[in-house]
Amino acid sequence: MPRATGKVYVTEKGEAIHGILAEFATPAALYHAAEHVRDAGYSKWDTFTPFPIHGMEDAMGVKRTKLPVAVALMAFAGAGLAFLMQHWMAGVDYPLMHQGKPYSSWQAFVPITFELGVLFAAFTSLIGMLALNGLPRWHHPLFKKERFLASSDDRFFVCIEACDGKFDPDATRALLEKAGATSIELVEE
Amino acid sequence: MSAAVHADLSDSNLTLAHGSGRGLGMGLIVAGALCALATAGAAFSGAGGISLKQWLAAYHVGAMSVLAMCLGSLFFIMAFHLTNAGWASAIRRQFENVASFLPFAFLLVLPTLVIEVMTHGKLFLWLSHDMAGDPLLEHKKVFFYLNQPIGGLPVFFIIRAVLYVLIWTYLSRRLCKLSRQQDESGDIALSAQARRTSAWGMLAFALSVAFASFDWLMSMDFKFFSTMWGVYYFSGAAFSAAGLVAIVLARLVGAGKLRGVVTSEHFHDLGKLMFTFTVFWAYIAFFQYFLIWYSNIPEETAFYVYRNNEPWKSMGVFLMLGHFVVPFLILLFRPVKKSPAALTFMGLWAIIVQVVDIYWVVRPMVHATEDHAPSLTPTLWLDVLAITAPLLVLAGYLFVRVSASCLVARRDPWMPEALSHRNYV
Repeated sequence: MPRATGKVYVTEKGEAIHGILAEFATPAALYHAAEHVRDAGYSKWDTFTPFPIHGMEDAMGVKRTKLPVAVALMAFAGAGLAFLMQHWMAGVDYPLMHQGKPYSSWQAFVPITFELGVLFAAFTSLIGMLALNGLPRWHHPLFKKERFLASSDDRFFVCIEACDGKFDPDATRALLEKAGATSIELVEE
Repeated sequence: MSAAVHADLSDSNLTLAHGSGRGLGMGLIVAGALCALATAGAAFSGAGGISLKQWLAAYHVGAMSVLAMCLGSLFFIMAFHLTNAGWASAIRRQFENVASFLPFAFLLVLPTLVIEVMTHGKLFLWLSHDMAGDPLLEHKKVFFYLNQPIGGLPVFFIIRAVLYVLIWTYLSRRLCKLSRQQDESGDIALSAQARRTSAWGMLAFALSVAFASFDWLMSMDFKFFSTMWGVYYFSGAAFSAAGLVAIVLARLVGAGKLRGVVTSEHFHDLGKLMFTFTVFWAYIAFFQYFLIWYSNIPEETAFYVYRNNEPWKSMGVFLMLGHFVVPFLILLFRPVKKSPAALTFMGLWAIIVQVVDIYWVVRPMVHATEDHAPSLTPTLWLDVLAITAPLLVLAGYLFVRVSASCLVARRDPWMPEALSHRNYV
């Protein structure tokens, strides 16, 4: 289902519309089309290509992810937690002198502090990445399109989703036509 | 998109006016030499409570820091060749300029070594006759490490020093020469030759740097030993070398050169290298300490136990913060790494903390035979001046050297990749 935007577009058969899929013949055509879509102010859209196209994120106007901030915060939290845990265990709850070192010697805590920091950072990276990009998922409406299979072979696609606030069935189609799409079709949910 | 970069590859963008840095450079070299001689003279005369021993230690700190930056640069050149690093061909020339100082950097270290041998060990106590018969020293003699002098000279110590300097001189001269030849001919076979040289060169480099740091830093405290010592010296060397080259490049870009050739993307990667090596230094420095702390073997712990007293203790805390925590937190941020101005600051910072690191290793040896806490402040001026002297010579050399050739390896086969280098989102 499209996310709440106030408007839900449906086909003549009454199926909700996922978006509009446009096909391009070459990477250059797709690159320029992406620039058009970016400049038109769309935000809920993506490009699909058989191989990475350098500079595409600029053409699409993709912003840098916020994930590093979360990762850094969780890393420091993990490191702090590990240090406190060890201090509490070895210095407070069950003070244990080993090897003649003072109780709660900070030196001994460093490896675990470091490791837990890394662990928290790694988990935050992975889980945060999945949370932000919505993966994994069982199915995607685009896979219903026979034509779309060529996106892993020799064709280049743009799909603008209907949940985009700027989406308009006619204007969006016109934009993609103007951008040089070789074929355009609706994608049902 | 093969971002067709239209970088300005004209001479006006890629070269400095020939000899433009010569005046300033020669001035700095003379200033450095005078600084070294004046402080040495003052130390010999013994005026104002200073001693030759203190001068030797301070000067050695400066010389070993200069050597570290040159060795770090040599490492980066070889690493770039070995990995076919495309982006780095835009900045490799400046590493070559620093590394080309290597034979001279050794000459800067040489006075300390010569004086040590001639005076039978002021800092290097194993050279001293007083220590003959020490069981640990006797043991280390067996492995040709700290051998007692033959005919008044520590022959194997000298042979090793000659070996190191031959390796470093050959590697730095050959790699710089190949790169400059390529400026003329554009022959890609030269890159392959540089790569082959780097392959065995890296191994020779690793061994020679490790043993040189054993010989010239670790052996001062002959009871102490750490197999990690070579890596410890190397990690700081690479950190300060990346910092120095960041300063050089930022100055060139600030002077309106290398427009479109060395961009914020290259500074970004240089910043990442600095970030890498501040973390690497922390890792090595801490775990060297940690293992010795844990195993608690007296001849190892003595090194740290002594430095657990003031004023070395505060200096150690400063190193933890200044050599790791602060640069780590600052270099985490992308805008810092991308900004030539910010990287200049971090480069200076890197060089300063690297000097403090070696100071913390070497300087306590002046007081190794005393049983009270030394006061550094009254004669701190001697330390500062004697440490600065070799650094001034390196700075002067760079002013002369940088303007003497093209500022980038302009016909390196990887230049197109370097020019379109981008760090993606």
